[in-house]
Amino acid sequence: MMRRFLPVVLLVAAGSLAAAEFTPLDRAEAQRLLSADKHRQPTVVTLWSSDCGYCKANLKLLSSLTRNNRKLRVITVAAEPENAHLWPMLSRYGLAGPHYAYGSDSPEAIAYAIDPNWGGELPRTFLFDGTGRKERISGVLTAPAIEKATGLRF
Amino acid sequence: MARFVLTTKLLAAVSGALMLALVAPGASAADAMPGMAKATRQELGASAVFAPDGSLLVVTKQGEHVMLYRSSDDGKSWSAPTAVNAQPEQISADGENRPKVAFAADGGLLVSWTRPLGKPYSGAIRLARADDGQRFSPPLTVHKDPAEITHRFESLLTTPDNKVILAWIDKRDLEAAKSGKKAYRGAAIYAAVSTDGGRSFQPEHKLADHSCECCRVTSAIDADGAPLFMWRHVFEPNERDHALARLKPDGTVESVQRATFDRWKVDGCPHHGPSLAVDERGVRHAVWFNQKDGAGRGFYGRLAAGSGISVEGQRQVGGPRAAHADMAVAPGKLAIAWKEFDGERTQLRGLMSADGGDSFSEIALAATDGASDQARVVRRQDQLFVFWRTEKEGFRLFPLP
Repeated sequence: MMRRFLPVVLLVAAGSLAAAEFTPLDRAEAQRLLSADKHRQPTVVTLWSSDCGYCKANLKLLSSLTRNNRKLRVITVAAEPENAHLWPMLSRYGLAGPHYAYGSDSPEAIAYAIDPNWGGELPRTFLFDGTGRKERISGVLTAPAIEKATGLRF
Repeated sequence: MARFVLTTKLLAAVSGALMLALVAPGASAADAMPGMAKATRQELGASAVFAPDGSLLVVTKQGEHVMLYRSSDDGKSWSAPTAVNAQPEQISADGENRPKVAFAADGGLLVSWTRPLGKPYSGAIRLARADDGQRFSPPLTVHKDPAEITHRFESLLTTPDNKVILAWIDKRDLEAAKSGKKAYRGAAIYAAVSTDGGRSFQPEHKLADHSCECCRVTSAIDADGAPLFMWRHVFEPNERDHALARLKPDGTVESVQRATFDRWKVDGCPHHGPSLAVDERGVRHAVWFNQKDGAGRGFYGRLAAGSGISVEGQRQVGGPRAAHADMAVAPGKLAIAWKEFDGERTQLRGLMSADGGDSFSEIALAATDGASDQARVVRRQDQLFVFWRTEKEGFRLFPLP
Protein backbone atom coordinates (compact mmCIF):
# COMPACT_ATOMS: atom_id res chain seq x y z
CA MET A 1 0.00 0.00 0.00
CA MET A 2 2.70 2.46 1.03
CA ARG A 3 4.65 1.64 -2.09
CA ARG A 4 1.69 2.56 -4.25
CA PHE A 5 1.45 5.98 -2.70
CA LEU A 6 5.12 6.74 -2.63
CA PRO A 7 5.36 8.23 -6.12
CA VAL A 8 2.46 10.55 -5.32
CA VAL A 9 4.20 11.72 -2.16
CA LEU A 10 7.37 12.34 -4.15
CA LEU A 11 5.47 14.29 -6.78
CA VAL A 12 3.89 16.49 -4.14
CA ALA A 13 7.28 17.07 -2.56
CA ALA A 14 8.78 17.95 -5.96
CA GLY A 15 5.94 20.41 -6.53
CA SER A 16 6.57 22.20 -3.27
CA LEU A 17 10.25 22.54 -4.13
CA ALA A 18 9.43 23.97 -7.55
CA ALA A 19 10.77 27.39 -6.66
CA ALA A 20 14.24 25.92 -6.17
CA GLU A 21 14.54 23.80 -9.29
CA PHE A 22 16.62 26.29 -11.25
CA THR A 23 20.25 27.20 -10.82
CA PRO A 24 20.69 30.94 -11.38
CA LEU A 25 22.95 31.55 -14.37
CA ASP A 26 25.54 34.31 -14.39
CA ARG A 27 28.07 35.22 -17.09
CA ALA A 28 30.89 33.07 -15.68
CA GLU A 29 28.72 29.98 -15.36
CA ALA A 30 27.26 30.61 -18.83
CA GLN A 31 30.73 30.68 -20.34
CA ARG A 32 31.62 27.38 -18.64
CA LEU A 33 28.35 25.81 -19.72
CA LEU A 34 28.90 26.68 -23.36
CA SER A 35 32.57 25.63 -23.56
CA ALA A 36 32.96 22.63 -25.83
CA ASP A 37 35.91 21.31 -23.79
CA LYS A 38 33.71 21.08 -20.67
CA HIS A 39 31.42 18.51 -22.28
CA ARG A 40 32.88 14.98 -22.26
CA GLN A 41 29.65 13.34 -23.38
CA PRO A 42 27.10 14.23 -26.07
CA THR A 43 25.22 17.18 -24.60
CA VAL A 44 22.51 19.56 -25.71
CA VAL A 45 22.19 22.94 -24.02
CA THR A 46 18.75 24.22 -24.94
CA LEU A 47 17.58 27.79 -24.33
CA TRP A 48 13.86 28.39 -23.88
CA SER A 49 11.42 30.82 -22.28
CA SER A 50 7.88 30.76 -20.95
CA ASP A 51 6.84 32.94 -23.91
CA CYS A 52 8.20 30.65 -26.64
CA GLY A 53 5.85 28.01 -28.03
CA TYR A 54 8.46 26.58 -30.40
CA CYS A 55 10.71 25.89 -27.42
CA LYS A 56 8.14 23.42 -26.08
CA ALA A 57 8.42 21.41 -29.31
CA ASN A 58 12.17 21.16 -28.75
CA LEU A 59 11.83 20.18 -25.10
CA LYS A 60 9.35 17.47 -26.08
CA LEU A 61 11.64 16.10 -28.77
CA LEU A 62 14.69 16.16 -26.50
CA SER A 63 12.71 14.44 -23.78
CA SER A 64 11.78 11.58 -26.11
CA LEU A 65 15.35 11.31 -27.42
CA THR A 66 16.80 10.99 -23.92
CA ARG A 67 14.47 8.05 -23.37
CA ASN A 68 15.73 6.44 -26.59
CA ASN A 69 19.39 6.98 -25.84
CA ARG A 70 20.57 7.51 -22.29
CA LYS A 71 23.92 8.83 -23.46
CA LEU A 72 22.31 12.14 -24.40
CA ARG A 73 22.56 14.77 -21.70
CA VAL A 74 20.15 17.71 -21.89
CA ILE A 75 20.79 20.94 -20.01
CA THR A 76 18.01 23.53 -20.07
CA VAL A 77 18.43 27.29 -19.74
CA ALA A 78 15.39 29.53 -19.26
CA ALA A 79 16.35 32.86 -20.81
CA GLU A 80 14.45 34.77 -18.16
CA PRO A 81 14.66 35.05 -14.37
CA GLU A 82 13.03 32.28 -12.39
CA ASN A 83 9.29 32.79 -12.01
CA ALA A 84 6.18 30.80 -11.16
CA HIS A 85 5.49 29.82 -14.80
CA LEU A 86 8.77 28.06 -15.47
CA TRP A 87 8.75 24.85 -13.47
CA PRO A 88 5.17 23.78 -14.31
CA MET A 89 6.07 24.23 -17.99
CA LEU A 90 9.38 22.40 -17.83
CA SER A 91 8.66 19.62 -15.37
CA ARG A 92 6.20 17.84 -17.69
CA TYR A 93 9.08 16.85 -20.00
CA GLY A 94 10.81 14.85 -17.27
CA LEU A 95 14.28 16.04 -18.25
CA ALA A 96 16.90 15.27 -15.63
CA GLY A 97 18.69 18.59 -15.98
CA PRO A 98 20.54 20.47 -14.70
CA HIS A 99 18.10 23.32 -15.23
CA TYR A 100 19.22 26.92 -15.28
CA ALA A 101 17.38 30.24 -15.34
CA TYR A 102 18.86 33.71 -15.78
CA GLY A 103 20.18 34.98 -12.47
CA SER A 104 20.66 38.52 -11.21
CA ASP A 105 23.55 39.26 -13.58
CA SER A 106 22.80 41.63 -16.48
CA PRO A 107 20.72 39.64 -19.02
CA GLU A 108 22.80 41.04 -21.87
CA ALA A 109 26.02 39.93 -20.18
CA ILE A 110 24.61 36.42 -19.74
CA ALA A 111 23.47 36.32 -23.38
CA TYR A 112 26.90 37.49 -24.54
CA ALA A 113 28.63 34.81 -22.47
CA ILE A 114 26.31 32.19 -23.93
CA ASP A 115 27.02 33.29 -27.50
CA PRO A 116 28.16 36.72 -28.71
CA ASN A 117 26.51 36.03 -32.07
CA TRP A 118 23.10 35.21 -30.65
CA GLY A 119 20.42 37.84 -31.36
CA GLY A 120 18.08 36.66 -28.59
CA GLU A 121 15.85 34.48 -30.77
CA LEU A 122 14.39 31.36 -29.18
CA PRO A 123 14.64 28.46 -29.21
CA ARG A 124 18.43 28.56 -29.44
CA THR A 125 20.25 25.27 -28.97
CA PHE A 126 23.92 24.35 -28.59
CA LEU A 127 24.89 20.78 -29.40
CA PHE A 128 28.14 19.17 -28.24
CA ASP A 129 29.41 15.80 -29.46
CA GLY A 130 31.56 15.36 -26.36
CA THR A 131 34.87 15.49 -28.23
CA GLY A 132 35.13 19.25 -28.64
CA ARG A 133 32.69 19.92 -31.48
CA LYS A 134 29.89 22.45 -30.97
CA GLU A 135 26.96 23.38 -33.19
CA ARG A 136 24.37 26.16 -32.86
CA ILE A 137 20.81 25.91 -34.11
CA SER A 138 18.07 28.54 -33.90
CA GLY A 139 14.49 27.34 -34.15
CA VAL A 140 12.80 23.97 -34.02
CA LEU A 141 15.12 20.94 -33.91
CA THR A 142 14.80 17.69 -35.77
CA ALA A 143 16.05 14.29 -34.64
CA PRO A 144 18.40 13.96 -37.66
CA ALA A 145 19.98 17.36 -36.88
CA ILE A 146 20.56 16.28 -33.28
CA GLU A 147 22.01 12.94 -34.44
CA LYS A 148 24.37 14.74 -36.78
CA ALA A 149 25.56 17.23 -34.18
CA THR A 150 25.91 14.83 -31.25
CA GLY A 151 27.03 11.69 -33.09
CA LEU A 152 24.33 9.69 -31.29
CA ARG A 153 21.64 7.51 -32.83
CA PHE A 154 18.08 7.55 -31.54
CA MET B 1 23.05 20.12 -5.04
CA ALA B 2 21.32 19.99 -1.65
CA ARG B 3 23.33 22.98 -0.57
CA PHE B 4 22.29 24.85 -3.67
CA VAL B 5 18.62 24.08 -3.12
CA LEU B 6 18.85 25.50 0.37
CA THR B 7 20.59 28.58 -0.91
CA THR B 8 18.03 29.38 -3.56
CA LYS B 9 15.22 28.73 -1.11
CA LEU B 10 16.85 31.08 1.31
CA LEU B 11 17.36 33.65 -1.41
CA ALA B 12 13.74 33.31 -2.45
CA ALA B 13 12.63 33.80 1.14
CA VAL B 14 14.89 36.79 1.66
CA SER B 15 13.93 38.44 -1.60
CA GLY B 16 10.27 37.72 -0.84
CA ALA B 17 10.62 39.42 2.51
CA LEU B 18 12.41 42.36 0.92
CA MET B 19 9.70 42.67 -1.71
CA LEU B 20 7.08 42.70 1.03
CA ALA B 21 9.01 45.33 2.93
CA LEU B 22 9.24 47.43 -0.22
CA VAL B 23 5.70 46.97 -1.37
CA ALA B 24 3.73 46.87 1.88
CA PRO B 25 3.63 50.62 2.58
CA GLY B 26 2.10 51.24 -0.85
CA ALA B 27 2.70 54.96 -1.00
CA SER B 28 6.34 54.82 -0.02
CA ALA B 29 7.07 52.02 -2.51
CA ALA B 30 5.40 54.07 -5.20
CA ASP B 31 7.37 57.14 -4.20
CA ALA B 32 10.69 55.33 -4.48
CA MET B 33 13.08 56.63 -7.13
CA PRO B 34 12.01 55.16 -10.44
CA GLY B 35 14.25 52.39 -11.64
CA MET B 36 16.14 51.80 -8.39
CA ALA B 37 17.53 48.29 -8.18
CA LYS B 38 15.30 45.96 -6.21
CA ALA B 39 16.05 42.67 -4.53
CA THR B 40 14.43 40.74 -7.39
CA ARG B 41 14.73 41.42 -11.07
CA GLN B 42 12.37 44.20 -11.90
CA GLU B 43 10.42 44.44 -15.12
CA LEU B 44 11.89 47.63 -16.55
CA GLY B 45 9.53 48.17 -19.51
CA ALA B 46 8.61 51.87 -19.70
CA SER B 47 7.25 54.30 -22.28
CA ALA B 48 7.58 58.07 -22.48
CA VAL B 49 5.80 60.97 -24.15
CA PHE B 50 6.02 64.74 -23.90
CA ALA B 51 2.85 66.49 -22.73
CA PRO B 52 1.58 69.57 -24.58
CA ASP B 53 3.05 71.70 -21.73
CA GLY B 54 6.52 70.25 -22.43
CA SER B 55 6.77 68.02 -19.38
CA LEU B 56 7.87 64.42 -19.84
CA LEU B 57 5.49 61.65 -18.84
CA VAL B 58 6.66 58.09 -18.22
CA VAL B 59 4.56 55.00 -17.56
CA THR B 60 5.91 51.81 -16.08
CA LYS B 61 4.91 49.07 -13.70
CA GLN B 62 5.10 48.92 -9.91
CA GLY B 63 3.71 45.61 -8.69
CA GLU B 64 0.12 45.44 -9.91
CA HIS B 65 -0.16 49.10 -10.87
CA VAL B 66 0.81 51.09 -13.92
CA MET B 67 2.44 54.20 -12.49
CA LEU B 68 2.67 57.57 -14.21
CA TYR B 69 5.72 59.75 -13.51
CA ARG B 70 6.14 63.37 -14.56
CA SER B 71 9.25 65.49 -15.00
CA SER B 72 9.12 69.22 -15.68
CA ASP B 73 12.90 69.59 -16.00
CA ASP B 74 13.76 67.10 -18.74
CA GLY B 75 14.29 64.16 -16.43
CA LYS B 76 16.39 65.77 -13.70
CA SER B 77 13.63 65.33 -11.11
CA TRP B 78 10.42 63.36 -11.03
CA SER B 79 7.06 63.91 -9.40
CA ALA B 80 5.56 61.39 -6.98
CA PRO B 81 3.88 58.92 -9.30
CA THR B 82 0.16 58.51 -9.90
CA ALA B 83 -1.44 55.06 -10.06
CA VAL B 84 -3.18 54.68 -13.42
CA ASN B 85 -5.27 51.67 -12.32
CA ALA B 86 -6.75 52.10 -8.85
CA GLN B 87 -7.61 48.39 -8.63
CA PRO B 88 -4.53 46.15 -8.73
CA GLU B 89 -4.12 43.77 -11.66
CA GLN B 90 -1.33 41.91 -13.46
CA ILE B 91 0.66 44.03 -15.90
CA SER B 92 3.19 43.09 -18.58
CA ALA B 93 6.29 45.26 -18.62
CA ASP B 94 9.09 43.11 -19.97
CA GLY B 95 11.18 43.64 -23.12
CA GLU B 96 8.71 43.65 -26.01
CA ASN B 97 5.60 44.30 -23.95
CA ARG B 98 5.20 47.43 -21.84
CA PRO B 99 2.62 50.06 -20.89
CA LYS B 100 2.18 52.75 -23.56
CA VAL B 101 1.26 56.42 -23.16
CA ALA B 102 -0.22 58.90 -25.64
CA PHE B 103 -2.45 61.96 -25.86
CA ALA B 104 -5.79 61.87 -27.65
CA ALA B 105 -6.50 64.80 -29.96
CA ASP B 106 -8.95 66.21 -27.38
CA GLY B 107 -6.15 66.37 -24.80
CA GLY B 108 -7.12 63.23 -22.84
CA LEU B 109 -4.17 61.26 -21.53
CA LEU B 110 -4.24 57.58 -22.52
CA VAL B 111 -2.35 54.68 -21.01
CA SER B 112 -2.60 51.15 -22.42
CA TRP B 113 -1.12 47.89 -21.26
CA THR B 114 -1.42 44.11 -21.54
CA ARG B 115 -2.93 42.39 -18.53
CA PRO B 116 -1.73 38.76 -18.35
CA LEU B 117 -4.54 36.37 -17.43
CA GLY B 118 -4.17 32.98 -15.77
CA LYS B 119 -3.08 30.82 -18.69
CA PRO B 120 0.37 31.02 -20.26
CA TYR B 121 0.61 33.54 -23.15
CA SER B 122 -2.83 34.94 -22.33
CA GLY B 123 -3.66 38.61 -21.95
CA ALA B 124 -6.23 41.36 -22.31
CA ILE B 125 -5.56 44.79 -23.82
CA ARG B 126 -6.42 47.50 -21.30
CA LEU B 127 -6.81 51.24 -21.68
CA ALA B 128 -7.32 53.98 -19.12
CA ARG B 129 -8.04 57.63 -19.86
CA ALA B 130 -7.55 60.77 -17.78
CA ASP B 131 -9.57 63.69 -19.14
CA ASP B 132 -7.50 66.12 -17.07
CA GLY B 133 -4.21 64.25 -17.47
CA GLN B 134 -4.26 63.34 -13.76
CA ARG B 135 -7.25 61.29 -12.64
CA PHE B 136 -7.82 58.11 -14.61
CA SER B 137 -11.13 56.46 -15.30
CA PRO B 138 -11.22 52.72 -14.48
CA PRO B 139 -9.44 50.82 -17.29
CA LEU B 140 -11.53 49.14 -19.95
CA THR B 141 -10.70 46.08 -22.06
CA VAL B 142 -10.62 47.30 -25.65
CA HIS B 143 -11.72 44.00 -27.24
CA LYS B 144 -15.01 42.15 -26.95
CA ASP B 145 -13.39 38.70 -27.10
CA PRO B 146 -13.34 37.47 -23.49
CA ALA B 147 -11.35 34.27 -24.18
CA GLU B 148 -8.34 33.59 -21.96
CA ILE B 149 -5.94 33.55 -24.91
CA THR B 150 -3.29 35.84 -26.38
CA HIS B 151 -4.33 39.47 -26.86
CA ARG B 152 -0.95 41.05 -26.19
CA PHE B 153 1.81 43.39 -27.48
CA GLU B 154 -0.56 46.28 -28.21
CA SER B 155 0.42 49.36 -30.16
CA LEU B 156 -1.42 52.59 -29.29
CA LEU B 157 -2.06 55.21 -32.00
CA THR B 158 -3.98 58.46 -31.74
CA THR B 159 -5.11 60.48 -34.77
CA PRO B 160 -5.84 64.20 -35.23
CA ASP B 161 -9.60 63.49 -35.57
CA ASN B 162 -9.67 62.10 -32.01
CA LYS B 163 -9.61 58.45 -32.99
CA VAL B 164 -7.70 56.01 -30.82
CA ILE B 165 -6.62 52.80 -32.50
CA LEU B 166 -5.01 49.86 -30.77
CA ALA B 167 -3.64 46.88 -32.69
CA TRP B 168 -2.31 43.76 -31.02
CA ILE B 169 -1.24 40.15 -31.48
CA ASP B 170 -4.27 37.90 -31.15
CA LYS B 171 -4.41 34.10 -31.17
CA ARG B 172 -8.18 33.48 -31.57
CA ASP B 173 -7.69 32.18 -35.12
CA LEU B 174 -4.82 29.97 -34.04
CA GLU B 175 -6.96 28.56 -31.20
CA ALA B 176 -9.87 27.95 -33.61
CA ALA B 177 -7.53 26.18 -36.02
CA LYS B 178 -6.14 24.05 -33.19
CA SER B 179 -9.66 23.02 -32.13
CA GLY B 180 -10.36 22.02 -35.72
CA LYS B 181 -7.00 20.20 -35.84
CA LYS B 182 -5.83 22.48 -38.63
CA ALA B 183 -2.46 24.13 -39.07
CA TYR B 184 -2.20 27.90 -38.64
CA ARG B 185 0.96 29.92 -39.19
CA GLY B 186 1.82 32.28 -36.34
CA ALA B 187 -0.86 34.50 -34.79
CA ALA B 188 -3.07 37.34 -36.10
CA ILE B 189 -3.23 41.11 -35.75
CA TYR B 190 -6.52 42.60 -34.56
CA ALA B 191 -7.40 46.26 -34.07
CA ALA B 192 -10.06 48.20 -32.17
CA VAL B 193 -11.06 51.78 -32.97
CA SER B 194 -12.44 54.47 -30.67
CA THR B 195 -14.00 57.59 -32.19
CA ASP B 196 -14.43 59.35 -28.83
CA GLY B 197 -10.86 59.72 -27.68
CA GLY B 198 -10.62 56.31 -26.03
CA ARG B 199 -13.79 56.41 -23.90
CA SER B 200 -15.33 53.50 -25.80
CA PHE B 201 -14.30 51.10 -28.56
CA GLN B 202 -16.06 49.57 -31.53
CA PRO B 203 -15.86 45.77 -31.85
CA GLU B 204 -12.38 44.72 -32.93
CA HIS B 205 -11.57 43.44 -36.41
CA LYS B 206 -8.74 41.52 -37.97
CA LEU B 207 -5.96 43.32 -39.82
CA ALA B 208 -4.09 40.21 -40.94
CA ASP B 209 -3.52 36.51 -40.36
CA HIS B 210 -0.05 35.05 -39.72
CA SER B 211 1.80 37.60 -37.62
CA CYS B 212 4.80 36.56 -35.56
CA GLU B 213 3.82 35.67 -31.99
CA CYS B 214 5.75 37.87 -29.58
CA CYS B 215 7.43 40.86 -31.21
CA ARG B 216 6.27 44.39 -30.45
CA VAL B 217 3.92 46.08 -32.96
CA THR B 218 4.61 49.66 -34.14
CA SER B 219 2.41 52.38 -35.62
CA ALA B 220 2.55 55.78 -37.32
CA ILE B 221 0.39 58.11 -39.38
CA ASP B 222 0.94 58.08 -43.14
CA ALA B 223 1.45 61.18 -45.30
CA ASP B 224 -2.30 61.52 -46.00
CA GLY B 225 -3.37 60.79 -42.41
CA ALA B 226 -4.03 57.05 -42.84
CA PRO B 227 -3.14 54.95 -39.79
CA LEU B 228 -0.23 52.54 -40.33
CA PHE B 229 0.67 49.49 -38.28
CA MET B 230 3.80 47.41 -38.82
CA TRP B 231 4.71 44.08 -37.26
CA ARG B 232 6.88 41.04 -37.75
CA HIS B 233 5.00 38.63 -39.98
CA VAL B 234 5.39 34.96 -40.88
CA PHE B 235 5.46 34.76 -44.66
CA GLU B 236 5.25 31.30 -46.21
CA PRO B 237 6.69 28.96 -45.26
CA ASN B 238 8.42 30.50 -42.22
CA GLU B 239 10.05 33.78 -43.29
CA ARG B 240 9.87 36.21 -40.40
CA ASP B 241 9.95 39.47 -42.32
CA HIS B 242 7.66 42.45 -41.65
CA ALA B 243 4.23 43.52 -42.89
CA LEU B 244 2.75 47.03 -43.09
CA ALA B 245 -1.00 47.62 -42.88
CA ARG B 246 -2.59 50.84 -44.11
CA LEU B 247 -6.02 51.49 -42.63
CA LYS B 248 -9.00 53.37 -44.05
CA PRO B 249 -10.40 56.28 -42.04
CA ASP B 250 -12.87 53.93 -40.32
CA GLY B 251 -10.01 51.70 -39.19
CA THR B 252 -10.67 48.80 -41.56
CA VAL B 253 -7.85 47.47 -43.70
CA GLU B 254 -6.96 49.21 -46.93
CA SER B 255 -3.88 47.13 -47.68
CA VAL B 256 -1.39 44.77 -46.04
CA GLN B 257 1.97 44.64 -47.78
CA ARG B 258 5.26 42.94 -47.19
CA ALA B 259 7.65 45.61 -45.93
CA THR B 260 11.02 43.85 -45.54
CA PHE B 261 12.73 41.23 -47.64
CA ASP B 262 15.53 39.72 -45.57
CA ARG B 263 14.00 36.21 -45.61
CA TRP B 264 14.87 35.08 -42.11
CA LYS B 265 13.58 31.54 -42.04
CA VAL B 266 13.13 30.33 -38.49
CA ASP B 267 10.54 28.42 -36.49
CA GLY B 268 11.26 30.48 -33.46
CA CYS B 269 10.63 33.73 -31.60
CA PRO B 270 12.92 36.64 -32.50
CA HIS B 271 11.61 38.80 -29.59
CA HIS B 272 12.56 41.78 -31.70
CA GLY B 273 9.88 44.07 -33.14
CA PRO B 274 10.18 47.02 -35.55
CA SER B 275 9.75 50.79 -35.25
CA LEU B 276 8.17 53.07 -37.87
CA ALA B 277 8.06 56.84 -38.43
CA VAL B 278 6.72 59.03 -41.26
CA ASP B 279 8.50 62.33 -41.83
CA GLU B 280 7.01 65.69 -42.82
CA ARG B 281 7.59 64.91 -46.51
CA GLY B 282 5.59 61.72 -46.16
CA VAL B 283 8.56 59.35 -46.35
CA ARG B 284 8.20 56.18 -44.26
CA HIS B 285 11.30 55.24 -42.26
CA ALA B 286 11.66 51.98 -40.37
CA VAL B 287 14.12 50.11 -38.20
CA TRP B 288 13.93 46.40 -37.63
CA PHE B 289 15.97 43.34 -36.72
CA ASN B 290 16.46 40.35 -38.96
CA GLN B 291 18.85 37.59 -39.62
CA LYS B 292 20.24 38.14 -43.09
CA ASP B 293 22.84 35.90 -44.68
CA GLY B 294 23.12 34.05 -41.37
CA ALA B 295 23.85 37.04 -39.15
CA GLY B 296 21.37 38.85 -36.88
CA ARG B 297 21.48 42.60 -37.53
CA GLY B 298 19.58 45.81 -36.92
CA PHE B 299 18.51 47.54 -40.12
CA TYR B 300 17.24 50.93 -41.23
CA GLY B 301 15.36 51.48 -44.49
CA ARG B 302 12.73 53.63 -46.19
CA LEU B 303 9.54 51.82 -47.13
CA ALA B 304 8.66 53.30 -50.54
CA ALA B 305 4.95 53.07 -51.30
CA GLY B 306 3.63 51.50 -54.48
CA SER B 307 1.82 48.40 -55.63
CA GLY B 308 4.39 46.61 -53.50
CA ILE B 309 6.66 48.21 -50.93
CA SER B 310 10.29 48.49 -51.92
CA VAL B 311 12.96 49.12 -49.29
CA GLU B 312 15.27 52.02 -50.14
CA GLY B 313 18.57 52.87 -48.51
CA GLN B 314 18.68 49.74 -46.33
CA ARG B 315 21.71 49.89 -44.05
CA GLN B 316 22.91 48.26 -40.91
CA VAL B 317 22.23 49.94 -37.57
CA GLY B 318 25.16 49.68 -35.18
CA GLY B 319 27.42 46.69 -34.69
CA PRO B 320 26.78 42.96 -34.57
CA ARG B 321 25.05 43.15 -31.18
CA ALA B 322 22.87 46.20 -31.86
CA ALA B 323 19.45 45.41 -30.42
CA HIS B 324 15.94 46.81 -30.09
CA ALA B 325 16.35 49.97 -32.12
CA ASP B 326 13.69 52.65 -31.95
CA MET B 327 13.23 55.72 -34.13
CA ALA B 328 11.40 59.03 -34.41
CA VAL B 329 11.36 62.03 -36.72
CA ALA B 330 11.10 65.78 -36.20
CA PRO B 331 11.12 68.45 -38.92
CA GLY B 332 14.40 68.08 -40.82
CA LYS B 333 15.75 65.24 -38.72
CA LEU B 334 15.55 61.56 -38.05
CA ALA B 335 16.99 59.71 -35.05
CA ILE B 336 17.55 56.05 -34.25
CA ALA B 337 18.57 54.78 -30.81
CA TRP B 338 19.54 51.28 -29.79
CA LYS B 339 21.51 49.37 -27.22
CA GLU B 340 24.52 47.24 -27.82
CA PHE B 341 26.45 45.07 -25.36
CA ASP B 342 30.19 45.56 -25.80
CA GLY B 343 31.36 42.54 -23.78
CA GLU B 344 31.37 44.43 -20.49
CA ARG B 345 28.61 47.02 -20.53
CA THR B 346 25.46 47.88 -22.42
CA GLN B 347 26.03 50.91 -24.61
CA LEU B 348 23.26 53.27 -25.68
CA ARG B 349 23.99 54.67 -29.13
CA GLY B 350 22.24 56.87 -31.65
CA LEU B 351 22.19 57.58 -35.38
CA MET B 352 21.16 61.05 -36.57
CA SER B 353 20.26 62.04 -40.11
CA ALA B 354 19.53 65.54 -41.40
CA ASP B 355 19.00 64.47 -45.01
CA GLY B 356 16.04 62.11 -44.78
CA GLY B 357 18.08 59.00 -44.06
CA ASP B 358 20.64 59.26 -46.88
CA SER B 359 23.51 59.74 -44.46
CA PHE B 360 23.86 59.37 -40.70
CA SER B 361 26.24 60.36 -37.96
CA GLU B 362 26.62 58.02 -34.99
CA ILE B 363 26.81 59.16 -31.38
CA ALA B 364 27.51 57.45 -28.07
CA LEU B 365 24.86 58.41 -25.50
CA ALA B 366 25.39 56.38 -22.32
CA ALA B 367 26.29 52.99 -20.88
CA THR B 368 25.23 50.86 -17.95
CA ASP B 369 26.63 47.88 -16.07
CA GLY B 370 23.31 46.26 -15.23
CA ALA B 371 20.00 45.38 -16.82
CA SER B 372 18.31 47.95 -19.00
CA ASP B 373 15.10 48.54 -20.89
CA GLN B 374 14.87 49.16 -24.61
CA ALA B 375 15.46 52.84 -25.47
CA ARG B 376 12.79 55.07 -26.98
CA VAL B 377 13.19 58.16 -29.18
CA VAL B 378 10.68 60.83 -28.17
CA ARG B 379 9.84 64.16 -29.75
CA ARG B 380 9.03 67.56 -28.28
CA GLN B 381 8.15 69.93 -31.11
CA ASP B 382 11.34 70.27 -33.18
CA GLN B 383 13.58 68.42 -30.77
CA LEU B 384 14.31 64.71 -30.36
CA PHE B 385 15.38 62.95 -27.16
CA VAL B 386 16.28 59.43 -26.18
CA PHE B 387 14.60 58.03 -23.10
CA TRP B 388 16.28 55.06 -21.42
CA ARG B 389 15.52 53.25 -18.20
CA THR B 390 18.28 51.24 -16.57
CA GLU B 391 18.19 49.16 -13.43
CA LYS B 392 21.04 51.06 -11.79
CA GLU B 393 20.48 54.63 -12.97
CA GLY B 394 16.69 54.82 -13.27
CA PHE B 395 15.00 57.05 -15.84
CA ARG B 396 17.31 59.02 -18.11
CA LEU B 397 16.67 61.50 -20.89
CA PHE B 398 19.27 62.48 -23.50
CA PRO B 399 18.65 65.48 -25.76
CA LEU B 400 19.85 64.84 -29.32
CA PRO B 401 21.70 67.46 -31.34
